[in-house]
Amino acid sequence: MRTGDAGVFYPDPARSWIAVAPVRFVATLLLVLLVYGFSIYFVDFDLGRLWSGLPKLAHWAAKAWPPDARELGVLIERAIETVAMAVVGTTIGVIIAAPCCILAARNITPSRLLYTPMRWFLNTLRGIDSFIFALLFVAAVGLGPFAGVLGIGLHSAGTIAKLWSEAIEAVEPGPLEAAALTGANRLKVISYALLPDILPNLTSITLYVWEFNVRSSTVLGVVGAGGIGQELKNSVDLLDFARLFTIILIILAMVTAIDQFSAWLRRRLV
Amino acid sequence: MTALSAADPAIRIVGLSKRFGDRIVLDDVSFEVAAGEVVAILGASGAGKTTLFRCVTRLAQSDGGQIFLGEHAIRNLGGRQLSIARGEIGLIFQQFNLIRRLSALDNVLVGRLGEVPTWRVMLRRFPQRDRQLALAALDRVGMLPYALQRADILSGGQQQRVAIARALAQQSRFVLADEPVASLDPQSAKSILSILRDIARERMIAVLVSLHQVEFAIQFADRVIGLRAGRMIADRPAAAFAEADHRMIFAT
Ligand SMILES: Nc1ncnc2c1ncn2[C@@H]1O[C@H](COP(=O)(O)OP(=O)(O)OP(=O)(O)O)[C@@H](O)[C@H]1O
Ligand SMILES: [Mg+2]
Repeated sequence: MRTGDAGVFYPDPARSWIAVAPVRFVATLLLVLLVYGFSIYFVDFDLGRLWSGLPKLAHWAAKAWPPDARELGVLIERAIETVAMAVVGTTIGVIIAAPCCILAARNITPSRLLYTPMRWFLNTLRGIDSFIFALLFVAAVGLGPFAGVLGIGLHSAGTIAKLWSEAIEAVEPGPLEAAALTGANRLKVISYALLPDILPNLTSITLYVWEFNVRSSTVLGVVGAGGIGQELKNSVDLLDFARLFTIILIILAMVTAIDQFSAWLRRRLV
Repeated sequence: MTALSAADPAIRIVGLSKRFGDRIVLDDVSFEVAAGEVVAILGASGAGKTTLFRCVTRLAQSDGGQIFLGEHAIRNLGGRQLSIARGEIGLIFQQFNLIRRLSALDNVLVGRLGEVPTWRVMLRRFPQRDRQLALAALDRVGMLPYALQRADILSGGQQQRVAIARALAQQSRFVLADEPVASLDPQSAKSILSILRDIARERMIAVLVSLHQVEFAIQFADRVIGLRAGRMIADRPAAAFAEADHRMIFAT
């Protein structure tokens, strides 16, 4: 019998059988295998079809060279439009998210009654992609970037509010309690004791969503909601691969630049 | 503010009890603190000192008994009235609870939040009078030279002093201090405790302070309360506190 320093025997604290390592390992392994089995079955995974499609892809790739830069001016203008859509859309998201995230953060919500419906509402916004919102708005307000902006705005409102409220829930309660104990109302506590500590975090989240929105704006044009995606779709429809290649290069350059810029800004914040 | 004479009990706790699940953390605790009086609570780690402070300020909900702070029956209050009552309590937390990215001065100004209009708080434009109060409080705890230093780079003892200044700046009728000198050297600890005693006398404030060190309790408090595993086992004038009490409180 092994004993501790004092000559006392310490029995291991009792655990439930499910917490025992080998049981947990086998259960986890089975679960992972099951998930893969189902998933591969459902997606019709077939390497043979990829193989037979390869020549077609190679043919297109050959036709794409050299890239067609004749419409470079127009395309760049469209790229700028894409970034602008992300800027305005994200801003709409921020404006909607700001009041929502306060209701949706458990530690500062003024009403437990509104907390759950607000969570549901935000999950709905987040669950519907900008693309789907844009599809609806194209039908409602017509073709063009405005529909795209509205789509981005609604979807990002859900994402931003959810990430913000999680950031708010993660703050330590002490300073908020200290402020509340001076008799300060909720608005004072939030603006004075909460915001300074988490503003860098909130800004970083917003930049991250904006970055994401630049990427998702590139495809909104496919449903006619503005941006460079519109040109992309035109080129695919016309099988104009040289022009398509130029567009893809522009998108790559734009997305990379935006990601770098946003990452740099976020690093400076914290 | 109602005028209080030294004889009125400013803080009155009657039969207070608090459970966390099955564990009884406060068991039938009753005592009074008069205006202008300093009462020390002595208790070993886990005795329930912090829990007592949290119940008195309603950061935690107690299970039974009554808590009176002046005219406020704390356990029955809610919403706006609770805010008003809380505005009269200056609580010094064991963990300081400063806002990390704000300066020492901005943290002390938290003590003024209850009084200053909301728009001014949001724009961070405190009236001259409140800024003066905050600076005076910082000066009193010897932290004036650090007024513009960010809270998260101050040492533990310095943060402790800023937290105390925040409570002073609040100009409350009641001060509750949860181990306010735990992270200070003996010399600074003495100066902080004398400040608490002085403001009790000057402003007729009821001060309740929890401590680990018996000698500080005897030196600075008027009365000493012993808490052991949530039960009050002593309530004596500091002068009458005996070695036997000490052993009872801290016996393992
Ligand atoms: N939120 C909580 N949930 C469950 N138990 C708690 C909670 N808060 C405190 N306790 C328990 O209540 C008891 C008293 O804790 P409390 O913090 O009041 O002690 P204390 O006297 O302040 O100790 P210390 O001197 O170490 O600060 C402890 O046993 C603690 O584990
Ligand atoms: Mg404690």
